[in-house]
Amino acid sequence: MMRVWAFVERDLRKFIRNPLAMLSTILLPIVYLLIIGNAFQGTLKHLPLAVVDQDHGPYAKRMSDRLRSIEAGPNTIRVIFEHDPAFAEAEVRSGKLKGALMIPPHFSRDILRGTGPQLGLLLDNTDAVAASALNQAVSGALAFLEVDSVPIRADLKAPRVLPLELYRRIDYDASIVPGAVIMSIFMGAMITGAFNLVMDRYLGVHESYLSTPLTRRDIVLGIMISGVLVTTLVGLFVLGAGIWLTGLPVAGGATSFLAVLLVIVLTALGLLGMMCIFLARVDHPRIVGLFGGFLNIILFFPSGAVYPIESFPPWLRSFTRYNPETYAVHALKSILFKGAQWDAIQGDLIFLGSFTLIMFLLSTGMYRRTL
Amino acid sequence: MTDAIVVKELVKRYGSLSAVDHISFDVASGECFGSLGPNGAGKTTLIRVLTGLIRKTEGEAFVSGYDVTKQADHVRRAIGVVSQAMTTDLDLSGWENLDIYARYYEVPLKARKARIALLLDLIGLASRAGDLVATYSGGMRRRLEIARGLIHRPKILFLDEPTIGLDPQSRRVVWELLQQFRREEQLTIFLTTHYMDEADLLCDRIAIIDNGKIIALDTPENHKKEIPGSDIVDVTLERDDTNEGIETIIAEMETLPFVHQVIRHSGGQESGPDVLNIYSDNGAQAIPVLMERLQARGMKILAMGLKQQTLEDVFIHYTGRSIRSEGGKKVSYLIGAGLPRRWGN
Ligand SMILES: Nc1ncnc2c1ncn2[C@@H]1O[C@H](COP(=O)(O)OP(=O)(O)OP(=O)(O)O)[C@@H](O)[C@H]1O
Ligand SMILES: [Mg+2]
Repeated sequence: MMRVWAFVERDLRKFIRNPLAMLSTILLPIVYLLIIGNAFQGTLKHLPLAVVDQDHGPYAKRMSDRLRSIEAGPNTIRVIFEHDPAFAEAEVRSGKLKGALMIPPHFSRDILRGTGPQLGLLLDNTDAVAASALNQAVSGALAFLEVDSVPIRADLKAPRVLPLELYRRIDYDASIVPGAVIMSIFMGAMITGAFNLVMDRYLGVHESYLSTPLTRRDIVLGIMISGVLVTTLVGLFVLGAGIWLTGLPVAGGATSFLAVLLVIVLTALGLLGMMCIFLARVDHPRIVGLFGGFLNIILFFPSGAVYPIESFPPWLRSFTRYNPETYAVHALKSILFKGAQWDAIQGDLIFLGSFTLIMFLLSTGMYRRTL
Repeated sequence: MTDAIVVKELVKRYGSLSAVDHISFDVASGECFGSLGPNGAGKTTLIRVLTGLIRKTEGEAFVSGYDVTKQADHVRRAIGVVSQAMTTDLDLSGWENLDIYARYYEVPLKARKARIALLLDLIGLASRAGDLVATYSGGMRRRLEIARGLIHRPKILFLDEPTIGLDPQSRRVVWELLQQFRREEQLTIFLTTHYMDEADLLCDRIAIIDNGKIIALDTPENHKKEIPGSDIVDVTLERDDTNEGIETIIAEMETLPFVHQVIRHSGGQESGPDVLNIYSDNGAQAIPVLMERLQARGMKILAMGLKQQTLEDVFIHYTGRSIRSEGGKKVSYLIGAGLPRRWGN
């Protein structure tokens, strides 16, 4: 064990003397959190929609008012009034607007006469998400119009949905805090651990310790221990920052903290072990960079951190079953958002633990103990 | 007492190149054994095979009685290694480098501290021990690496060009250090070097290696005896591109009674002047005669000197060229030996 600790100490000392690496491990995931949290809000906001009123009747006015109140309320759209339909269409085509609503002449008259009133909605359907949101907003406004003109009682038999929220509401940016923590763990595992072995190999420094009694197990274990110490600290720091920045209320107390700590440690170990396998024979840092970017994408996005796994196509969903980050995200979300007990995250912990063990054994076997 | 190192028909091939080509030799316990050879001779490759850093292709090698491939663990505990490349950690202080290294060998705390203090003192770095190695000069770093190789009281110390990049004074410090540990701890030393004076001073026996083969193995004294005549007259002539004049004059000189042999080389430069080494029993007597002959032939003498023979001359004698004549790398102690890549295993 003295050998392992010596190796751990070497690694930690070198890390501490490289403050830039330490700082970026902490800062990057927080920036990620801020960008992702604000870029993909759960619902879309401020989509620019032109309204061209050629009717000027009471219903056209009411329609405009509805849209304007959507603009003020849920913020889905930003309404811009236009006179020239051709100009509005050109603006949609050029991408300045996401859509244009054409209220044709005689719209109000057609409603009153019941002779098939129609609205034209031009959508930039290359942006499918925005288009469907606009469609919904306009239909919603239109529905209001009809409810107003139709006796309310007639509608009573229609089934209604009463949403029942099981947990306290979590804002979208708060809901990706677990993702940011997982990402910080990934980045920590990337720049500590196996990366240091690659650097040693690149600089030729490994020649010095390969001629000592250090065994492969000593080396891999040492590198994983130093890596997990740094990575856990980074993960906790990012978690704290995430909670503070998003105002996420934390449930639990000491037990929750312990559970979170355990998840972070196991995730870090699993990822560190995985890197050790992939990088066991790499001798150039550039490969680590390329590889890290790639691995981050294939592990992070299908982990459920930013988008629900259930909506993935089946092939991707089956991949998530072997992705350690999926379990880490699930466990962290359960603890942080639902105040889950041990039995809810047991499966995650078992997966992460076994994953770590397998990775460690494989990487020990793969490490090349010659030059 | 068993031999510290036994090597039998050892071969290390990189593709079709035999970097070590059927080498055999023994090193006795307590001996200092040197291998001397030009760049690319295979010295580093030989050390790396013996220290378990790369695998041999054929043959056998035992270090401290253990097979270097099958019992690498035992070998590692018995040896210390100072590699050709600089391998101390720049982000650690001198003291930390030594301390961490000693713990790889599980040297207990107290012994470690005493040993580190002793070694730092001997290499003259005690006052800089707390500074990061990144702030050391190349020579300081090299001395630290030599101390590191001795940190765990190895039985056998391998040194690959230990004094490369050191100034004369530091070289002497290192030589004294090695001699002291030989005396006090019965250290066996295997070293490679380019420097003749170093091999001459430190080694009991010297293997001259060229192209992966040992071309001569003996004590420094016997090596020198190999050369006919005790003196060497060094003549530098203006370069003669026709080549004929000089070949005739060499043939003529070799017929002189006091001349044993004439060797022509280019003094280490590609298109430099011609240098003739004239081996003689009595150089002082030979000089005027040689001068007369050369001038009679219209040769332009740039310089002429008389010297006692050294191992350099031995090397030239065996290989017909100067040890530095391959040019290329001079004092690349920062990068040092090339790292094996694809051929590593
Ligand atoms: N990893 C490698 N792959 C291919 N060839 C190699 C490798 N390592 C060494 N060689 C070749 O083996 C030969 C011996 O190299 P080696 O480094 O042992 O020489 P050396 O005697 O130590 O030279 P120097 O004085 O320059 O250190 C050289 O021709 C070299 O090109
Ligand atoms: Mg060498």
